[in-house]
Amino acid sequence: MSTKDLDLANPQSFDGGFPHEYLRRLRREDPVHWNETKFEPERNGRGFWNITKYEDVKMISRSPHIFSSEEGGTNIFDVPAEDMEGLRALLINMDPPRHVKYRRLVAHNFTPRQIQKLEGHIRELAREIIDDVAERGSCDFINDIAAQLPMKTIMEIVGVPEEDQKQVFDLSNKLVGFDDPEFGNFEEGRMAAAQVCMYANKLREAVAECPMDNLGSALYHGKVDGESLDPLQYNYFFLLLMIAGNETTRTMTAHGMRLLMEHPEERQKLIDDPSLIPNAVEEFLRHNPPVMHFRRTLMQDFELRGKLMKKGQRLVIWYPSANRDEDVFPDPDRFDVTRKIPEHLGLGTGEHYCLGASFARAQLRAIFHELLTRLPDIELAGPIRYLHSNFIQGIKEMPVHYTPVKRVGLSADQTSVEATSSGGCPMHNAATGTAHA
Amino acid sequence: MKVVVDYDLCEANAVCMRILPEVFQVDNQDSLNVLVENPPESMRDKLKEAVRLCPRQAITIAED
Repeated sequence: MSTKDLDLANPQSFDGGFPHEYLRRLRREDPVHWNETKFEPERNGRGFWNITKYEDVKMISRSPHIFSSEEGGTNIFDVPAEDMEGLRALLINMDPPRHVKYRRLVAHNFTPRQIQKLEGHIRELAREIIDDVAERGSCDFINDIAAQLPMKTIMEIVGVPEEDQKQVFDLSNKLVGFDDPEFGNFEEGRMAAAQVCMYANKLREAVAECPMDNLGSALYHGKVDGESLDPLQYNYFFLLLMIAGNETTRTMTAHGMRLLMEHPEERQKLIDDPSLIPNAVEEFLRHNPPVMHFRRTLMQDFELRGKLMKKGQRLVIWYPSANRDEDVFPDPDRFDVTRKIPEHLGLGTGEHYCLGASFARAQLRAIFHELLTRLPDIELAGPIRYLHSNFIQGIKEMPVHYTPVKRVGLSADQTSVEATSSGGCPMHNAATGTAHA
Repeated sequence: MKVVVDYDLCEANAVCMRILPEVFQVDNQDSLNVLVENPPESMRDKLKEAVRLCPRQAITIAED
């Protein structure tokens, strides 16, 4: 390891933002790079392979029989064998054919067609979120805006009633932020996971008694090879949906806003022509993918760009690097909302392609439509504070100010949802069950 | 040249439909219908693009 090498196992290497300069050097000089590590060797061993090129990340994502998610999980570090057993109940830590079967339990809830049915409701929620801050003239963009829509929508889809949403949301934050002292440590993360599971149990019992038109119910009543999920599997599924549903879209919203504030000329293009927003969302995902890496474990020896990677070794695929590969994206560091984007890897590809891709896109389009039309002059009002993590490019705090505007209130569509939301079930879910089904 | 879809993998992301609507159609029930099972050679490039861009790798081309 040369002195100029960064240890990407260490979250400190990411404290100044994603180390693009270093990854650019790796892409050019050593695209399949052995990352020797001294960081927490009891978890990280001697090292792992950093994969930095677009084509390599894509090939690896699409060859799960060689590059396994199930063998050693998807964390950069190794987890104890007894924990690994449990983690294999999470969809992200499964390989085909098992992964295909479990994913099918929920996949149909997230297809573009299903999400399209929710779009009106998602737009209403986005309008309400901006209403809540519109008259204040300033807010914390992360908690008051970016976090809101993902939380409300994933909870509704899954079937968490409104009064419980804040509690589940706070717990799910502790699950991904465990490298950051502000969110607690690994032990606290574990505790939070246990509490989320306890909540999932409650939900499970409710939908067992009374099937509902939501994901929480579909998971309980669905079958894999003729069998229902056992309680642990159910709880872990819930856990994953909460994490994946909250953290990622919130982070993308935060970085999208940051990018637009840093590039006023690009923001003006979207204000002038809101039909560019969907393409801008793709550029957000390319330029700043919220998830920075996943790990795979080699199931056989494999030679890549002249490097012999051995069976059992770990490799780490870096999405922000792949998305700025000079061989695929001209002038890759430039943020350009009109860029023609062939296929970025911000949502992954292949077996584990983001299950919520359409869902996330619908939310991002909705919230940025509101932001750009109603708070077009939003600006930073203080320093941005980043999450200490090498997994999520999270932002913890981003104070902003803007010209106060009037609330626009609920439309007729929204009131009709509320009017029809009464039901006999104790945990009845208004949004996904009635007007938009 | 024959279009083969693995329906265990397909999640109706409709990427293929955007590339080649003459061949792929996602219907109201979220199922993918192959409209032309043996497309003409002239569609090969676009078909290859659909194969390449399908995020779930559900499409393959079988040669006759």
